[in-house]
Amino acid sequence: MMIPFGHALSFAAALFVLGLTCVLLRRQVIMILIGVEIMLNAASLVFVSASAYWQQVDGQVFVILLMAITAAEVAVALAMVVYLWRRKRTLVADEFNGMSG
Amino acid sequence: MSLSDLLAMLPILILAFGATAILMAGAWYREPLPLLAGGIVTALLGALSAGLVTPPVPEIAGLFSAGGYARFYTILWSLLAAAGLMTGSRYIIEKRIGAGEYVSLVLYAAAGMALLSSATHLVGLFIALETFTLAFYILIASNRNCALAAEAGLKYLLLGAVATGFMAFGIALIYAASGSLVLPDAVMRLKAETGELQAWGLLGWGMILIAVGFKISLAPFHLWTPDVYQGAPAPVTGLLATGSKGAVVAALVGLLAMSGPVWNDLTDLVWLLAALTMLAGAFGALGQSNLKRLLAYSSVTHMGTLLVGVLCQTSEGFAATTFYVVVYVVTSLGAFAVIASLADGRGEPMTFDQWRGLGYRHPVRCGVLVLLLLSLAGLPATAGFMAKFAVFHAALQSGYIGLLMIGILASVISFAFYLRVTMLLFQPDEKASSWHQGSVFEHTVLAVCSSAVLVLGLFPGLLFGLIRQILP
Repeated sequence: MMIPFGHALSFAAALFVLGLTCVLLRRQVIMILIGVEIMLNAASLVFVSASAYWQQVDGQVFVILLMAITAAEVAVALAMVVYLWRRKRTLVADEFNGMSG
Repeated sequence: MSLSDLLAMLPILILAFGATAILMAGAWYREPLPLLAGGIVTALLGALSAGLVTPPVPEIAGLFSAGGYARFYTILWSLLAAAGLMTGSRYIIEKRIGAGEYVSLVLYAAAGMALLSSATHLVGLFIALETFTLAFYILIASNRNCALAAEAGLKYLLLGAVATGFMAFGIALIYAASGSLVLPDAVMRLKAETGELQAWGLLGWGMILIAVGFKISLAPFHLWTPDVYQGAPAPVTGLLATGSKGAVVAALVGLLAMSGPVWNDLTDLVWLLAALTMLAGAFGALGQSNLKRLLAYSSVTHMGTLLVGVLCQTSEGFAATTFYVVVYVVTSLGAFAVIASLADGRGEPMTFDQWRGLGYRHPVRCGVLVLLLLSLAGLPATAGFMAKFAVFHAALQSGYIGLLMIGILASVISFAFYLRVTMLLFQPDEKASSWHQGSVFEHTVLAVCSSAVLVLGLFPGLLFGLIRQILP
Protein backbone atom coordinates (compact mmCIF):
# COMPACT_ATOMS: atom_id res chain seq x y z
CA MET A 1 0.00 0.00 0.00
CA MET A 2 1.67 3.17 -1.21
CA ILE A 3 -0.71 5.76 0.18
CA PRO A 4 -1.64 5.65 3.90
CA PHE A 5 -5.29 4.74 4.44
CA GLY A 6 -5.95 7.86 6.51
CA HIS A 7 -4.79 10.10 3.65
CA ALA A 8 -7.15 8.43 1.19
CA LEU A 9 -10.05 8.84 3.61
CA SER A 10 -9.22 12.48 4.30
CA PHE A 11 -8.97 13.22 0.59
CA ALA A 12 -12.34 11.55 -0.04
CA ALA A 13 -13.88 13.49 2.85
CA ALA A 14 -12.58 16.75 1.37
CA LEU A 15 -14.07 15.79 -2.00
CA PHE A 16 -17.39 15.03 -0.31
CA VAL A 17 -17.44 18.42 1.40
CA LEU A 18 -16.64 20.11 -1.91
CA GLY A 19 -19.57 18.34 -3.54
CA LEU A 20 -21.88 19.26 -0.69
CA THR A 21 -20.76 22.90 -0.88
CA CYS A 22 -21.54 22.86 -4.58
CA VAL A 23 -25.03 21.50 -3.83
CA LEU A 24 -25.69 24.11 -1.17
CA LEU A 25 -24.30 27.16 -2.96
CA ARG A 26 -25.13 26.71 -6.66
CA ARG A 27 -28.66 27.52 -7.78
CA GLN A 28 -28.66 25.87 -11.21
CA VAL A 29 -30.31 22.45 -11.13
CA ILE A 30 -27.56 21.01 -13.37
CA MET A 31 -24.80 22.31 -11.08
CA ILE A 32 -26.57 20.86 -8.03
CA LEU A 33 -26.70 17.48 -9.76
CA ILE A 34 -22.99 17.73 -10.56
CA GLY A 35 -22.36 18.40 -6.86
CA VAL A 36 -24.23 15.21 -6.01
CA GLU A 37 -22.10 13.31 -8.52
CA ILE A 38 -18.97 14.57 -6.77
CA MET A 39 -20.36 13.39 -3.43
CA LEU A 40 -21.00 9.94 -4.92
CA ASN A 41 -17.50 9.86 -6.42
CA ALA A 42 -16.06 10.59 -2.99
CA ALA A 43 -17.96 7.55 -1.72
CA SER A 44 -16.52 5.45 -4.58
CA LEU A 45 -13.03 6.58 -3.66
CA VAL A 46 -13.52 5.46 -0.07
CA PHE A 47 -14.75 2.08 -1.30
CA VAL A 48 -11.77 1.55 -3.57
CA SER A 49 -9.22 2.53 -0.93
CA ALA A 50 -10.98 0.48 1.77
CA SER A 51 -11.05 -2.44 -0.62
CA ALA A 52 -7.29 -2.20 -0.97
CA TYR A 53 -6.79 -1.75 2.76
CA TRP A 54 -8.86 -4.78 3.79
CA GLN A 55 -7.67 -6.87 0.82
CA GLN A 56 -11.23 -7.67 -0.30
CA VAL A 57 -13.16 -7.18 -3.51
CA ASP A 58 -16.45 -6.25 -1.79
CA GLY A 59 -15.69 -2.54 -1.98
CA GLN A 60 -14.83 -2.68 -5.68
CA VAL A 61 -18.05 -4.56 -6.40
CA PHE A 62 -19.97 -1.84 -4.58
CA VAL A 63 -18.30 0.81 -6.75
CA ILE A 64 -19.53 -0.91 -9.91
CA LEU A 65 -23.04 -1.12 -8.44
CA LEU A 66 -22.82 2.52 -7.43
CA MET A 67 -21.94 3.46 -11.02
CA ALA A 68 -24.99 1.60 -12.32
CA ILE A 69 -27.28 3.21 -9.77
CA THR A 70 -25.83 6.65 -10.45
CA ALA A 71 -26.43 6.14 -14.17
CA ALA A 72 -30.08 5.31 -13.47
CA GLU A 73 -30.41 8.32 -11.22
CA VAL A 74 -28.83 10.66 -13.76
CA ALA A 75 -31.16 9.32 -16.47
CA VAL A 76 -34.20 10.19 -14.36
CA ALA A 77 -32.74 13.51 -13.21
CA LEU A 78 -31.87 14.71 -16.71
CA ALA A 79 -35.30 13.69 -18.00
CA MET A 80 -36.69 15.84 -15.21
CA VAL A 81 -34.39 18.72 -16.19
CA VAL A 82 -35.62 18.58 -19.78
CA TYR A 83 -39.24 18.47 -18.58
CA LEU A 84 -38.75 21.43 -16.22
CA TRP A 85 -37.06 23.45 -18.95
CA ARG A 86 -39.98 22.85 -21.29
CA ARG A 87 -42.47 23.89 -18.62
CA LYS A 88 -40.81 26.97 -17.26
CA ARG A 89 -37.86 27.93 -19.51
CA THR A 90 -35.58 28.19 -16.51
CA LEU A 91 -33.42 25.83 -14.46
CA VAL A 92 -32.73 28.09 -11.49
CA ALA A 93 -33.95 26.18 -8.44
CA ASP A 94 -35.19 29.32 -6.68
CA GLU A 95 -37.63 30.07 -9.51
CA PHE A 96 -39.66 27.02 -8.52
CA ASN A 97 -41.42 28.61 -5.58
CA GLY A 98 -45.12 28.13 -6.26
CA MET A 99 -45.76 26.62 -2.84
CA SER A 100 -45.08 28.02 0.59
CA GLY A 101 -46.49 28.08 4.07
CA MET B 1 -28.10 -17.90 -7.06
CA SER B 2 -29.76 -21.26 -6.65
CA LEU B 3 -33.32 -22.35 -7.25
CA SER B 4 -34.16 -22.19 -3.55
CA ASP B 5 -32.90 -18.60 -3.48
CA LEU B 6 -35.23 -17.77 -6.35
CA LEU B 7 -38.12 -19.48 -4.60
CA ALA B 8 -37.42 -17.47 -1.44
CA MET B 9 -37.45 -14.35 -3.58
CA LEU B 10 -40.73 -15.23 -5.31
CA PRO B 11 -42.82 -12.28 -3.99
CA ILE B 12 -40.23 -9.75 -5.16
CA LEU B 13 -39.88 -11.53 -8.51
CA ILE B 14 -43.65 -11.43 -9.01
CA LEU B 15 -43.74 -7.69 -8.27
CA ALA B 16 -40.71 -6.82 -10.40
CA PHE B 17 -41.51 -9.02 -13.41
CA GLY B 18 -45.20 -8.10 -13.20
CA ALA B 19 -44.19 -4.43 -13.27
CA THR B 20 -41.92 -4.99 -16.27
CA ALA B 21 -44.62 -6.91 -18.15
CA ILE B 22 -47.18 -4.17 -17.49
CA LEU B 23 -44.71 -1.48 -18.55
CA MET B 24 -44.14 -3.32 -21.84
CA ALA B 25 -47.83 -3.96 -22.35
CA GLY B 26 -48.59 -0.30 -21.63
CA ALA B 27 -46.31 0.81 -24.45
CA TRP B 28 -48.60 -0.75 -27.05
CA TYR B 29 -51.92 -1.03 -25.29
CA ARG B 30 -53.26 2.23 -23.94
CA GLU B 31 -56.51 1.08 -22.26
CA PRO B 32 -56.00 2.00 -18.60
CA LEU B 33 -58.47 -0.30 -16.84
CA PRO B 34 -57.00 -3.71 -17.83
CA LEU B 35 -53.50 -2.44 -16.97
CA LEU B 36 -54.69 -1.26 -13.55
CA ALA B 37 -56.50 -4.53 -12.92
CA GLY B 38 -53.35 -6.43 -13.92
CA GLY B 39 -51.33 -4.32 -11.50
CA ILE B 40 -53.71 -4.89 -8.61
CA VAL B 41 -53.74 -8.65 -9.29
CA THR B 42 -49.91 -8.68 -9.43
CA ALA B 43 -49.65 -6.85 -6.12
CA LEU B 44 -52.15 -9.19 -4.46
CA LEU B 45 -50.31 -12.21 -5.90
CA GLY B 46 -47.09 -10.84 -4.41
CA ALA B 47 -48.75 -10.56 -1.00
CA LEU B 48 -50.26 -14.06 -1.30
CA SER B 49 -47.00 -15.68 -2.30
CA ALA B 50 -45.20 -13.94 0.58
CA GLY B 51 -47.80 -15.26 2.97
CA LEU B 52 -48.20 -18.81 1.65
CA VAL B 53 -44.90 -19.94 0.16
CA THR B 54 -42.48 -20.99 2.90
CA PRO B 55 -38.99 -19.80 1.93
CA PRO B 56 -36.57 -22.76 1.69
CA VAL B 57 -33.57 -20.65 2.82
CA PRO B 58 -33.43 -18.09 5.63
CA GLU B 59 -31.34 -15.61 3.64
CA ILE B 60 -31.27 -14.74 -0.07
CA ALA B 61 -27.76 -14.53 -1.55
CA GLY B 62 -26.50 -13.04 1.70
CA LEU B 63 -28.20 -9.77 0.82
CA PHE B 64 -31.79 -10.06 1.99
CA SER B 65 -33.49 -11.93 4.79
CA ALA B 66 -36.42 -14.23 4.03
CA GLY B 67 -37.51 -14.54 7.66
CA GLY B 68 -40.86 -13.76 9.19
CA TYR B 69 -40.10 -10.09 9.70
CA ALA B 70 -39.15 -9.61 6.04
CA ARG B 71 -42.23 -11.55 4.91
CA PHE B 72 -44.50 -9.48 7.13
CA TYR B 73 -43.34 -6.25 5.48
CA THR B 74 -43.39 -7.79 2.00
CA ILE B 75 -47.07 -8.52 2.53
CA LEU B 76 -47.71 -5.05 3.94
CA TRP B 77 -46.00 -3.22 1.05
CA SER B 78 -47.63 -5.44 -1.59
CA LEU B 79 -51.03 -4.68 -0.12
CA LEU B 80 -50.06 -1.01 0.02
CA ALA B 81 -49.23 -1.11 -3.70
CA ALA B 82 -52.62 -2.68 -4.42
CA ALA B 83 -54.30 0.06 -2.36
CA GLY B 84 -52.24 2.74 -4.10
CA LEU B 85 -53.32 1.42 -7.51
CA MET B 86 -56.95 1.32 -6.40
CA THR B 87 -56.92 4.89 -5.08
CA GLY B 88 -55.15 6.05 -8.22
CA SER B 89 -57.40 4.20 -10.66
CA ARG B 90 -59.90 6.97 -11.39
CA TYR B 91 -57.39 9.74 -10.76
CA ILE B 92 -54.88 8.71 -13.43
CA ILE B 93 -57.60 8.22 -16.03
CA GLU B 94 -59.01 11.70 -15.42
CA LYS B 95 -55.59 13.39 -15.32
CA ARG B 96 -54.39 11.39 -18.35
CA ILE B 97 -51.40 9.92 -16.56
CA GLY B 98 -50.06 6.91 -18.50
CA ALA B 99 -51.56 3.82 -16.88
CA GLY B 100 -48.73 1.47 -17.84
CA GLU B 101 -46.13 3.79 -16.35
CA TYR B 102 -48.10 4.48 -13.17
CA VAL B 103 -48.87 0.83 -12.47
CA SER B 104 -45.36 -0.42 -13.15
CA LEU B 105 -43.72 2.35 -11.10
CA VAL B 106 -45.96 1.66 -8.11
CA LEU B 107 -45.10 -2.04 -8.33
CA TYR B 108 -41.36 -1.32 -8.65
CA ALA B 109 -41.63 0.95 -5.62
CA ALA B 110 -43.36 -1.82 -3.66
CA ALA B 111 -40.61 -4.27 -4.65
CA GLY B 112 -38.00 -1.76 -3.49
CA MET B 113 -39.75 -1.20 -0.16
CA ALA B 114 -40.11 -4.94 0.43
CA LEU B 115 -36.40 -5.42 -0.30
CA LEU B 116 -35.43 -2.52 1.95
CA SER B 117 -37.39 -3.91 4.89
CA SER B 118 -35.61 -7.25 4.50
CA ALA B 119 -32.06 -5.99 3.85
CA THR B 120 -29.31 -7.61 5.92
CA HIS B 121 -26.41 -6.33 3.83
CA LEU B 122 -25.43 -2.73 3.11
CA VAL B 123 -25.42 -3.38 -0.66
CA GLY B 124 -28.97 -4.72 -0.46
CA LEU B 125 -29.99 -1.75 1.66
CA PHE B 126 -28.60 0.76 -0.83
CA ILE B 127 -30.04 -0.89 -3.94
CA ALA B 128 -33.47 -1.27 -2.35
CA LEU B 129 -33.52 2.34 -1.19
CA GLU B 130 -32.60 3.58 -4.66
CA THR B 131 -35.17 1.32 -6.33
CA PHE B 132 -38.15 2.96 -4.74
CA THR B 133 -36.65 6.44 -4.60
CA LEU B 134 -36.16 6.43 -8.38
CA ALA B 135 -39.73 5.24 -8.87
CA PHE B 136 -41.01 8.06 -6.66
CA TYR B 137 -39.01 10.73 -8.52
CA ILE B 138 -41.11 9.93 -11.58
CA LEU B 139 -44.41 9.25 -9.81
CA ILE B 140 -44.42 12.61 -8.03
CA ALA B 141 -44.03 14.57 -11.26
CA SER B 142 -46.29 12.23 -13.24
CA ASN B 143 -49.18 14.69 -13.55
CA ARG B 144 -47.96 16.73 -16.50
CA ASN B 145 -50.88 19.20 -16.43
CA CYS B 146 -49.91 20.52 -13.03
CA ALA B 147 -47.14 23.05 -12.40
CA LEU B 148 -47.06 22.19 -8.70
CA ALA B 149 -46.37 18.51 -9.46
CA ALA B 150 -43.29 19.46 -11.51
CA GLU B 151 -42.04 21.64 -8.68
CA ALA B 152 -42.66 18.90 -6.12
CA GLY B 153 -40.82 16.44 -8.36
CA LEU B 154 -37.82 18.78 -8.61
CA LYS B 155 -37.68 19.29 -4.85
CA TYR B 156 -37.89 15.59 -4.10
CA LEU B 157 -35.30 14.84 -6.78
CA LEU B 158 -32.71 17.27 -5.44
CA LEU B 159 -33.15 16.31 -1.79
CA GLY B 160 -33.35 12.63 -2.66
CA ALA B 161 -30.11 12.89 -4.63
CA VAL B 162 -28.33 14.59 -1.72
CA ALA B 163 -29.65 11.91 0.63
CA THR B 164 -28.28 9.26 -1.75
CA GLY B 165 -24.90 10.96 -1.57
CA PHE B 166 -24.94 10.90 2.23
CA MET B 167 -26.11 7.29 2.27
CA ALA B 168 -23.37 6.13 -0.12
CA PHE B 169 -20.66 8.00 1.78
CA GLY B 170 -21.92 6.73 5.13
CA ILE B 171 -21.90 3.13 3.89
CA ALA B 172 -18.42 3.68 2.44
CA LEU B 173 -17.08 4.96 5.76
CA ILE B 174 -18.60 2.05 7.68
CA TYR B 175 -17.00 -0.34 5.21
CA ALA B 176 -13.69 1.48 5.49
CA ALA B 177 -13.79 1.28 9.29
CA SER B 178 -15.03 -2.28 9.66
CA GLY B 179 -14.05 -4.09 6.47
CA SER B 180 -17.47 -5.69 6.13
CA LEU B 181 -20.71 -4.87 4.38
CA VAL B 182 -22.80 -7.50 6.18
CA LEU B 183 -24.80 -5.58 8.73
CA PRO B 184 -24.49 -7.52 12.01
CA ASP B 185 -20.87 -8.32 11.17
CA ALA B 186 -19.96 -4.69 10.43
CA VAL B 187 -21.53 -3.53 13.69
CA MET B 188 -19.65 -6.13 15.68
CA ARG B 189 -16.30 -5.29 14.10
CA LEU B 190 -16.88 -1.57 14.62
CA LYS B 191 -17.34 -2.17 18.34
CA ALA B 192 -14.03 -4.02 18.51
CA GLU B 193 -12.26 -1.25 16.57
CA THR B 194 -10.52 1.56 18.40
CA GLY B 195 -8.85 4.83 17.51
CA GLU B 196 -9.08 6.54 14.14
CA LEU B 197 -11.05 3.83 12.38
CA GLN B 198 -13.78 3.87 15.01
CA ALA B 199 -14.12 7.63 14.58
CA TRP B 200 -14.59 7.18 10.81
CA GLY B 201 -17.18 4.49 11.50
CA LEU B 202 -19.09 6.79 13.82
CA LEU B 203 -19.00 9.50 11.18
CA GLY B 204 -20.42 6.91 8.78
CA TRP B 205 -23.35 6.18 11.10
CA GLY B 206 -23.91 9.93 11.38
CA MET B 207 -24.05 10.25 7.58
CA ILE B 208 -26.53 7.37 7.33
CA LEU B 209 -28.61 9.04 10.02
CA ILE B 210 -28.69 12.24 7.94
CA ALA B 211 -29.77 10.27 4.86
CA VAL B 212 -32.48 8.54 6.90
CA GLY B 213 -33.45 11.96 8.25
CA PHE B 214 -34.04 13.22 4.71
CA LYS B 215 -35.98 10.09 3.73
CA ILE B 216 -38.36 10.00 6.69
CA SER B 217 -38.32 13.81 7.11
CA LEU B 218 -36.87 14.25 10.56
CA ALA B 219 -36.39 17.86 11.64
CA PRO B 220 -34.29 19.75 10.56
CA PHE B 221 -34.36 17.81 7.26
CA HIS B 222 -38.16 17.93 6.94
CA LEU B 223 -38.62 21.18 5.02
CA TRP B 224 -39.29 19.44 1.69
CA THR B 225 -42.19 17.42 3.07
CA PRO B 226 -45.11 19.88 2.89
CA ASP B 227 -44.19 21.11 -0.59
CA VAL B 228 -43.77 17.64 -2.04
CA TYR B 229 -46.96 16.34 -0.42
CA GLN B 230 -48.93 19.30 -1.69
CA GLY B 231 -47.66 19.09 -5.25
CA ALA B 232 -47.72 15.33 -5.78
CA PRO B 233 -50.95 13.64 -6.95
CA ALA B 234 -52.93 12.51 -3.87
CA PRO B 235 -52.66 8.73 -4.54
CA VAL B 236 -48.87 9.11 -4.92
CA THR B 237 -48.69 11.23 -1.77
CA GLY B 238 -50.50 8.44 0.04
CA LEU B 239 -47.77 5.98 -1.01
CA LEU B 240 -44.95 8.43 -0.36
CA ALA B 241 -46.15 9.30 3.13
CA THR B 242 -46.63 5.70 4.17
CA GLY B 243 -44.49 3.23 2.24
CA SER B 244 -41.32 5.16 1.58
CA LYS B 245 -41.07 6.20 5.22
CA GLY B 246 -42.34 2.99 6.76
CA ALA B 247 -39.88 0.88 4.78
CA VAL B 248 -36.93 2.94 6.02
CA VAL B 249 -38.11 2.67 9.63
CA ALA B 250 -38.66 -1.06 9.14
CA ALA B 251 -35.10 -1.45 7.85
CA LEU B 252 -33.80 0.51 10.84
CA VAL B 253 -35.72 -1.67 13.30
CA GLY B 254 -34.63 -4.86 11.54
CA LEU B 255 -31.01 -3.74 11.58
CA LEU B 256 -31.03 -2.80 15.26
CA ALA B 257 -32.94 -5.89 16.35
CA MET B 258 -30.45 -8.09 14.48
CA SER B 259 -27.21 -6.51 15.57
CA GLY B 260 -27.87 -5.19 19.04
CA PRO B 261 -27.21 -1.65 20.23
CA VAL B 262 -25.44 0.21 17.42
CA TRP B 263 -25.50 3.83 18.24
CA ASN B 264 -24.74 4.07 21.92
CA ASP B 265 -22.47 6.96 20.99
CA LEU B 266 -25.23 8.55 18.94
CA THR B 267 -28.01 8.21 21.51
CA ASP B 268 -27.95 11.88 22.46
CA LEU B 269 -28.08 12.93 18.82
CA VAL B 270 -31.04 10.64 18.07
CA TRP B 271 -32.76 11.86 21.25
CA LEU B 272 -32.41 15.44 20.03
CA LEU B 273 -33.62 14.55 16.51
CA ALA B 274 -36.71 12.81 17.90
CA ALA B 275 -37.60 15.67 20.23
CA LEU B 276 -37.02 18.31 17.56
CA THR B 277 -39.03 16.35 14.97
CA MET B 278 -42.07 15.87 17.20
CA LEU B 279 -42.18 19.56 18.12
CA ALA B 280 -41.39 20.87 14.61
CA GLY B 281 -44.23 18.77 13.16
CA ALA B 282 -46.76 19.78 15.79
CA PHE B 283 -45.98 23.50 15.70
CA GLY B 284 -45.60 23.52 11.91
CA ALA B 285 -49.07 22.05 11.44
CA LEU B 286 -50.75 24.69 13.60
CA GLY B 287 -50.37 27.46 11.04
CA GLN B 288 -51.43 25.46 7.96
CA SER B 289 -54.56 26.15 5.96
CA ASN B 290 -54.15 23.32 3.47
CA LEU B 291 -55.10 19.76 4.38
CA LYS B 292 -52.28 18.11 2.43
CA ARG B 293 -49.64 20.33 4.04
CA LEU B 294 -51.24 19.70 7.43
CA LEU B 295 -51.00 15.95 6.87
CA ALA B 296 -47.36 16.44 5.87
CA TYR B 297 -46.55 18.10 9.19
CA SER B 298 -48.60 15.46 10.98
CA SER B 299 -46.44 12.81 9.31
CA VAL B 300 -43.33 14.65 10.56
CA THR B 301 -44.65 14.40 14.13
CA HIS B 302 -45.41 10.72 13.68
CA MET B 303 -41.89 10.05 12.41
CA GLY B 304 -40.53 11.71 15.55
CA THR B 305 -42.68 9.42 17.69
CA LEU B 306 -41.49 6.40 15.70
CA LEU B 307 -37.90 7.43 16.31
CA VAL B 308 -38.61 7.35 20.05
CA GLY B 309 -39.63 3.72 19.69
CA VAL B 310 -36.50 2.94 17.66
CA LEU B 311 -34.30 4.76 20.18
CA CYS B 312 -35.44 2.50 23.03
CA GLN B 313 -33.55 -0.43 21.42
CA THR B 314 -35.52 -2.94 23.47
CA SER B 315 -37.70 -5.70 22.08
CA GLU B 316 -40.72 -3.88 23.45
CA GLY B 317 -39.65 -0.71 21.68
CA PHE B 318 -39.21 -2.58 18.39
CA ALA B 319 -42.60 -4.29 18.73
CA ALA B 320 -44.25 -0.94 19.49
CA THR B 321 -42.49 0.69 16.51
CA THR B 322 -43.59 -2.08 14.15
CA PHE B 323 -47.17 -1.78 15.38
CA TYR B 324 -46.98 1.98 14.97
CA VAL B 325 -45.71 1.64 11.39
CA VAL B 326 -48.65 -0.58 10.42
CA VAL B 327 -51.18 1.72 12.08
CA TYR B 328 -49.62 4.84 10.58
CA VAL B 329 -49.56 3.28 7.10
CA VAL B 330 -53.23 2.31 7.24
CA THR B 331 -54.41 5.62 8.70
CA SER B 332 -52.35 7.96 6.57
CA LEU B 333 -53.10 6.04 3.37
CA GLY B 334 -56.81 6.30 4.15
CA ALA B 335 -56.61 10.06 4.71
CA PHE B 336 -54.93 10.63 1.34
CA ALA B 337 -57.38 8.20 -0.29
CA VAL B 338 -60.26 10.42 0.88
CA ILE B 339 -58.61 13.40 -0.83
CA ALA B 340 -58.02 11.35 -4.00
CA SER B 341 -61.60 10.09 -4.04
CA LEU B 342 -62.98 13.65 -3.90
CA ALA B 343 -60.73 14.93 -6.70
CA ASP B 344 -62.48 15.93 -9.92
CA GLY B 345 -61.86 18.13 -12.94
CA ARG B 346 -61.00 21.12 -10.72
CA GLY B 347 -58.26 19.15 -8.97
CA GLU B 348 -58.14 18.00 -5.37
CA PRO B 349 -59.86 19.76 -2.46
CA MET B 350 -56.91 21.18 -0.52
CA THR B 351 -57.45 24.54 1.16
CA PHE B 352 -59.61 24.81 4.25
CA ASP B 353 -62.03 27.02 2.31
CA GLN B 354 -62.69 24.11 -0.01
CA TRP B 355 -63.18 21.69 2.90
CA ARG B 356 -65.55 23.92 4.89
CA GLY B 357 -68.99 22.33 5.16
CA LEU B 358 -68.03 19.35 3.02
CA GLY B 359 -69.31 17.06 5.77
CA TYR B 360 -72.87 17.81 4.66
CA ARG B 361 -72.17 17.15 0.98
CA HIS B 362 -70.21 13.91 1.45
CA PRO B 363 -71.13 12.66 4.92
CA VAL B 364 -69.70 9.14 4.62
CA ARG B 365 -66.27 10.01 3.32
CA CYS B 366 -65.92 13.02 5.60
CA GLY B 367 -66.93 10.77 8.49
CA VAL B 368 -64.16 8.36 7.48
CA LEU B 369 -61.73 11.27 7.28
CA VAL B 370 -62.69 12.39 10.78
CA LEU B 371 -62.17 8.87 12.10
CA LEU B 372 -58.73 8.70 10.46
CA LEU B 373 -57.74 12.15 11.73
CA LEU B 374 -58.79 11.23 15.26
CA SER B 375 -56.72 8.07 14.97
CA LEU B 376 -53.75 10.16 13.81
CA ALA B 377 -54.35 12.39 16.82
CA GLY B 378 -54.45 9.33 19.08
CA LEU B 379 -58.00 9.34 20.43
CA PRO B 380 -58.68 6.33 22.69
CA ALA B 381 -60.50 3.38 21.01
CA THR B 382 -58.75 4.10 17.70
CA ALA B 383 -55.64 2.31 16.50
CA GLY B 384 -53.59 5.51 16.76
CA PHE B 385 -54.09 5.59 20.51
CA MET B 386 -52.85 2.04 21.02
CA ALA B 387 -49.81 2.72 18.83
CA LYS B 388 -48.85 5.90 20.68
CA PHE B 389 -49.50 4.25 24.01
CA ALA B 390 -47.23 1.31 23.15
CA VAL B 391 -44.37 3.57 22.02
CA PHE B 392 -44.65 5.85 25.04
CA HIS B 393 -44.83 2.85 27.35
CA ALA B 394 -41.63 1.46 25.83
CA ALA B 395 -39.99 4.89 26.23
CA LEU B 396 -41.02 4.99 29.88
CA GLN B 397 -39.54 1.54 30.51
CA SER B 398 -36.27 2.52 28.87
CA GLY B 399 -36.12 5.63 31.01
CA TYR B 400 -36.64 8.31 28.37
CA ILE B 401 -38.90 10.43 30.57
CA GLY B 402 -37.95 13.71 28.85
CA LEU B 403 -38.85 12.37 25.41
CA LEU B 404 -42.10 10.98 26.80
CA MET B 405 -43.06 14.44 28.07
CA ILE B 406 -42.21 16.06 24.74
CA GLY B 407 -44.17 13.35 22.91
CA ILE B 408 -47.24 13.93 25.04
CA LEU B 409 -46.92 17.69 24.57
CA ALA B 410 -46.73 17.21 20.79
CA SER B 411 -49.80 14.94 20.89
CA VAL B 412 -51.79 17.52 22.82
CA ILE B 413 -50.83 20.22 20.33
CA SER B 414 -51.76 17.94 17.44
CA PHE B 415 -55.22 17.45 18.89
CA ALA B 416 -55.78 21.17 18.31
CA PHE B 417 -55.26 21.06 14.55
CA TYR B 418 -56.96 17.71 13.96
CA LEU B 419 -60.03 18.96 15.82
CA ARG B 420 -59.90 22.20 13.85
CA VAL B 421 -60.23 20.24 10.59
CA THR B 422 -63.02 18.13 12.08
CA MET B 423 -65.01 21.19 13.08
CA LEU B 424 -64.35 22.77 9.72
CA LEU B 425 -65.82 19.77 7.91
CA PHE B 426 -69.10 20.08 9.78
CA GLN B 427 -69.48 23.85 9.76
CA PRO B 428 -72.68 24.80 7.95
CA ASP B 429 -71.69 26.47 4.71
CA GLU B 430 -74.17 27.18 1.91
CA LYS B 431 -71.41 27.70 -0.63
CA ALA B 432 -69.79 24.28 -0.11
CA SER B 433 -69.58 22.65 -3.52
CA SER B 434 -69.98 18.98 -4.29
CA TRP B 435 -66.94 17.00 -5.37
CA HIS B 436 -66.65 13.67 -7.12
CA GLN B 437 -68.69 10.72 -5.90
CA GLY B 438 -65.70 8.40 -6.01
CA SER B 439 -65.38 4.97 -7.63
CA VAL B 440 -65.93 1.50 -6.18
CA PHE B 441 -62.16 0.98 -5.88
CA GLU B 442 -61.71 4.12 -3.81
CA HIS B 443 -64.60 3.25 -1.51
CA THR B 444 -63.15 -0.24 -1.01
CA VAL B 445 -59.81 1.21 0.12
CA LEU B 446 -61.58 3.60 2.50
CA ALA B 447 -63.71 0.79 3.94
CA VAL B 448 -60.62 -1.39 4.51
CA CYS B 449 -58.61 1.43 6.09
CA SER B 450 -61.35 2.62 8.42
CA SER B 451 -62.28 -0.87 9.58
CA ALA B 452 -58.59 -1.68 10.15
CA VAL B 453 -58.27 1.45 12.30
CA LEU B 454 -61.26 0.38 14.40
CA VAL B 455 -60.26 -3.30 14.70
CA LEU B 456 -56.65 -2.51 15.62
CA GLY B 457 -57.89 0.07 18.11
CA LEU B 458 -60.21 -2.37 19.86
CA PHE B 459 -58.17 -5.58 19.52
CA PRO B 460 -54.50 -4.53 19.31
CA GLY B 461 -53.46 -7.89 20.79
CA LEU B 462 -54.09 -9.58 17.43
CA LEU B 463 -51.31 -7.69 15.69
CA PHE B 464 -49.02 -7.44 18.72
CA GLY B 465 -49.01 -11.23 19.10
CA LEU B 466 -47.95 -11.63 15.47
CA ILE B 467 -45.27 -8.93 15.72
CA ARG B 468 -43.70 -10.49 18.83
CA GLN B 469 -43.36 -13.77 16.94
CA ILE B 470 -41.68 -12.36 13.86
CA LEU B 471 -39.24 -9.83 15.30
CA PRO B 472 -35.72 -11.03 14.48
